[in-house]
Amino acid sequence: MGFFGYEILNDLIKVKIPKQKETNFPKGIFYKPEKIINLNENLHYQPKKINKIDNKFKINIDIKNYTKIFDKFKKKIKKGETYQIKICTKYRNKSKIDPLDYFCRLTKTNLAPEAFFIKDKEYSIISCSPETLIIKKGNSISTKPIAGTLKKNSKLDKNKALNYFRKNIKETKEHNMIVDMERNDLSRICRPGTVKIAKEKIVEEYKDLFHYVSLINGKLNKNIKTVDIIKAMMPGGSVIGCPKISTLNLLNHQEKEERNIYTGSFGYIKFNGDMRFNIIIRSILNYRNISEISVASGVVIDSNPKNEFNENFIKAKALIDLYK
Amino acid sequence: MIYVIDHKDSFTHNVVHQLSLFDHVECDDFSKVNKSKLNQADTIVFSPGPGSPKDYPLSSKIYKKYKRKKRIIGICLGFQQILFCEGADIVQQNKIYHGFQSEVLVNKSSKLFDAGTKFKVGRYHSLKLKEPFDVENFDITMRCAISGAAMSFENNIDKIYGFQFHPESFLTINGKLLIKKILSA
Repeated sequence: MGFFGYEILNDLIKVKIPKQKETNFPKGIFYKPEKIINLNENLHYQPKKINKIDNKFKINIDIKNYTKIFDKFKKKIKKGETYQIKICTKYRNKSKIDPLDYFCRLTKTNLAPEAFFIKDKEYSIISCSPETLIIKKGNSISTKPIAGTLKKNSKLDKNKALNYFRKNIKETKEHNMIVDMERNDLSRICRPGTVKIAKEKIVEEYKDLFHYVSLINGKLNKNIKTVDIIKAMMPGGSVIGCPKISTLNLLNHQEKEERNIYTGSFGYIKFNGDMRFNIIIRSILNYRNISEISVASGVVIDSNPKNEFNENFIKAKALIDLYK
Repeated sequence: MIYVIDHKDSFTHNVVHQLSLFDHVECDDFSKVNKSKLNQADTIVFSPGPGSPKDYPLSSKIYKKYKRKKRIIGICLGFQQILFCEGADIVQQNKIYHGFQSEVLVNKSSKLFDAGTKFKVGRYHSLKLKEPFDVENFDITMRCAISGAAMSFENNIDKIYGFQFHPESFLTINGKLLIKKILSA
């Protein structure tokens, strides 16, 4: 059980990353569980009286620079070098945190299907990831990409959110692209004719937002190894852009700071080869008392930088709120 | 055997799966094409991919070498690659279609599909064919119902076919049928 960071996933599919600002955080860590404990679902948590953290989060790319990068990638889209690309921004502060307390408070307000928590000597990860990248049982495999985010307000419900997404051509196109890309990635390792869209464009509800989601299934080819699955599916396409390889190359030449865990995958591999992995988004990495929250949203031909910049903030907000 | 030449696209394996319904398919990266597979293949398929045809001189070379010797199919970038090799200009379009479902209309020059038929198809392209394009035996057989942009061509003499849209996309209704027709033409 553990995680692959972004860099190691690039290495696996032979995509190079030029020299970036490094924090020396490990590229991936896996643990062998000694004891497995099932927790009661109705756990009650009484938050501690914590000291407010005064250190405000600093963002590494401001709106001006974000717009510049955005315009550059829009040109690349016009030339056909990429169809959709996700610019990553990072929020950082210096903070000594009690990770378990943070995680418990986060799950109380924002229980996500792929949430996880790691506490080790030098680092902790607190995550409310909503996105499942791989569920593999026997020869069945599925993935559940998210593409499309809508901020909640008092007038919106699930049905209205669905209507919004359906009518919004930009969100629809972005989502379509991801569905075809995930079908493709599954097709690399699945038997022809078995890759099927089980749920097409549905809405899921979270604390601050609605997501536009699809579910795609397949049956694995014989003799597919664990590493083949990892290489076909990771890094998860919905958080990178499309097509994957050329878009990764564009991203890696743009981003000056390493992504660390962000857009990597956390999960487990059983001894029988079954596995489950998420995509590491909506996560805090606290390493040597520096907290880092990364977010990204997509540049497609008809997106605009202000909206995407704000969408990034919406995505980070639930995590930043924990520090208040 | 169908040999798919992959231009590092995130849709190529959808193409491979669709073609696998009809024949044995092999697929390699455009930079690692295997000569004996090329020679064994009955059909060569140029996959979709990022960028423009001029970025893939190796694929152009293969096209020119195997034209008239094998059935050749191009999808999206592959469609443009073939036309580029035939002397066409491939240019940026004003409106860009990525993940877009639109209607294409079959015209009278098609020998495989009935004129007037409309298909709902998935599109992922920044570039398009610059027209007029007039090369012997190449007919533009489908066009975007709205913009009129070239969406497919047929060369039934040399058995060369291309789709600007993606027959393998889930956005294309009856994509299997489109592929079946050009494979059995």
